[in-house]
Amino acid sequence: MIRKAVFGERPELAAVRREAFGAGLRAVLPALVATGTWGLVTGVAMVKIGMSQLEALGMTLLVFAGSAQLAALPLIAAGAPIWVVLLAATVVNLRFVIFSAGLYPYFVRYSLGRRLLLGYVTSDVGFAISMQRWTAAKSRGPDDALDPTRRVWFFLGIAAGNWLSWQSMSILGIFLAGQVPGSWGLDFAAILALIALTVPMVNGRPNIVGALVAGAVAVAGVGLPLKLGLVAAVVAGITAAMATEIALERAHRA
Amino acid sequence: MSTGMNAIETWLVIVGLTGVTVLTRSFFLVLGDRIPLPERVQHALRYAPACALVALVAPEVLAVNGELALSLSNFKLLAGGVAIAAMLATRSMIVTMLVGMGAFTALRLFA
Repeated sequence: MIRKAVFGERPELAAVRREAFGAGLRAVLPALVATGTWGLVTGVAMVKIGMSQLEALGMTLLVFAGSAQLAALPLIAAGAPIWVVLLAATVVNLRFVIFSAGLYPYFVRYSLGRRLLLGYVTSDVGFAISMQRWTAAKSRGPDDALDPTRRVWFFLGIAAGNWLSWQSMSILGIFLAGQVPGSWGLDFAAILALIALTVPMVNGRPNIVGALVAGAVAVAGVGLPLKLGLVAAVVAGITAAMATEIALERAHRA
Repeated sequence: MSTGMNAIETWLVIVGLTGVTVLTRSFFLVLGDRIPLPERVQHALRYAPACALVALVAPEVLAVNGELALSLSNFKLLAGGVAIAAMLATRSMIVTMLVGMGAFTALRLFA
């Protein structure tokens, strides 16, 4: 029954879909330990900054975005204006705007509603695995991985594995958080998770300069109202990174 | 225990963040036919997430009560430094969190 509802009535097509879905699930499996840990930490962190279990459940089930959620938490804890929280999360999520440009040619054939859904379930891992597989298939010539049906069901298989591991561990974290005494200082774990997320992103000279400038401005502006120091820091950091990139290009050409 | 937001504000944030997830992740899937993305803008967008994360983390570890705190008694700064080193060395999030929490706890208990 469920199988028919998921993969459709026509047996040949359903077989192709199921196979591609399974291939996606297998491809994402090695990454799920990291996804699950990340989910657990986020689940604990949401409750530790003072959200109720219901709010935390709502957040994980609806928002479904680890880095954006973790970025929002210190701002929620501090009672920052809502627009600042949303702006911070948007900036942290900007990488997905780039990913969506990469996925566009593969999903352009689907309806608006399906594109929104495919976008919603996109993860860092899902994007990386899918693009790697599809671009590799392209360079080898015609391949099953380029069949549009296989492609989208492969993507959905990755998304399903990712969603399940993220949500189950996040929910576990939400219920475990109450068992952990506040004296353990676990709220600091969310900051550590952000550090772990940040370090690999700060690669190359423009990023390093941008990060230093953003950090300095953020600390200098920590007393500003409305968390405007954060906004100023991001703008200053991006500007510095772009200036560095342009300077490097000029030096390269000269 | 509660945050600096009341329940209504928190739910507004949750709904808003859901919108942020959908909008950013499906941005060009929906608007790709209409908007070409200049290369410069693409690069600028690429630098934005690292800047935003650093801007979020830096005040949490470098400042205490709104003041710059570059001292050995700032345990979050020390443990954060240890965590950065752990991440650079191992590239493992689990190791980074364990080492960072270990350092933070040890400092609080024994320093």
